[in-house]
Amino acid sequence: MARFHGVRRLDGGGVRVRLSHREREALRSLPDQLRPLLTGEQDADTPQGPLRDRLFPRGYDDPLAEMEYRELVGSSLVDERVAALDEFARTLESGDDKRLWWALELDADEAAAWLSAVNDARLTLGMLLGIESEGQWEGGPDPEDPTSVMMFYLGWLEEELVHALMGGLGGDAGAGPAAAGQ
Amino acid sequence: MAAPAIAPQRTDQPRSDERTERDRPWNVIVWNDPVTLMSYVVFVLRKLFNHDEPTATKLMLQVHNEGRAVVASGPREKSEMDVSRLHAHGLQATMARD
Repeated sequence: MARFHGVRRLDGGGVRVRLSHREREALRSLPDQLRPLLTGEQDADTPQGPLRDRLFPRGYDDPLAEMEYRELVGSSLVDERVAALDEFARTLESGDDKRLWWALELDADEAAAWLSAVNDARLTLGMLLGIESEGQWEGGPDPEDPTSVMMFYLGWLEEELVHALMGGLGGDAGAGPAAAGQ
Repeated sequence: MAAPAIAPQRTDQPRSDERTERDRPWNVIVWNDPVTLMSYVVFVLRKLFNHDEPTATKLMLQVHNEGRAVVASGPREKSEMDVSRLHAHGLQATMARD
């Protein structure tokens, strides 16, 4: 078996993940931190306004149209993201514990849940770090700052997930010329 | 008094304006975000809009370089659905008419 580190695509739309035990432990810390931000539960230590605004951005400039949009889709957007986070948390407790690695297989839906949770975590950490331009993180993490290190790590993991899942999209042959003509 | 005569005019006038307003398509706009990965934006645009890779990459680069890009256009209900799918994937998207 190939000793890759990261995420590889499997036939059928799923992926295989292989991470160190330390990486798995770091990921395990995310769901309990993210859940209250997604659900809007109060947490005295964290000012949630800007974070929630970023996780659930507005769709309209017009306040009335925005209010109607919120009423229409607001709760389902929250439910969907929380369900993905729960799936992420659940799968983190499965898989194979080897001496050096932790490995598991995710089906397409579970892999999508991972991508959702990792992306939400990155957005949150980016907000906490006050990132306002790409240059603030593209050069690498601040090794003294665990939040910065975690955000950089999640960027690597997200690239791995995106790369593995992108291969399953297909459609280039059929949809190409029509879509390009828009 | 004059009031009853004015009232029908007032309701008729905006109604025809509103109809032309409604025919104008809504643009779905994706906004640049300094944290979101470029590859992730390409992935989401391909997944949601069935764009091929060059088209999705071109739109992503437009978002990155110009701060925003119109990724779809259509009736209000369809555009609202597109915006909500983009929001579900954590992208900053709004809808507006020119």
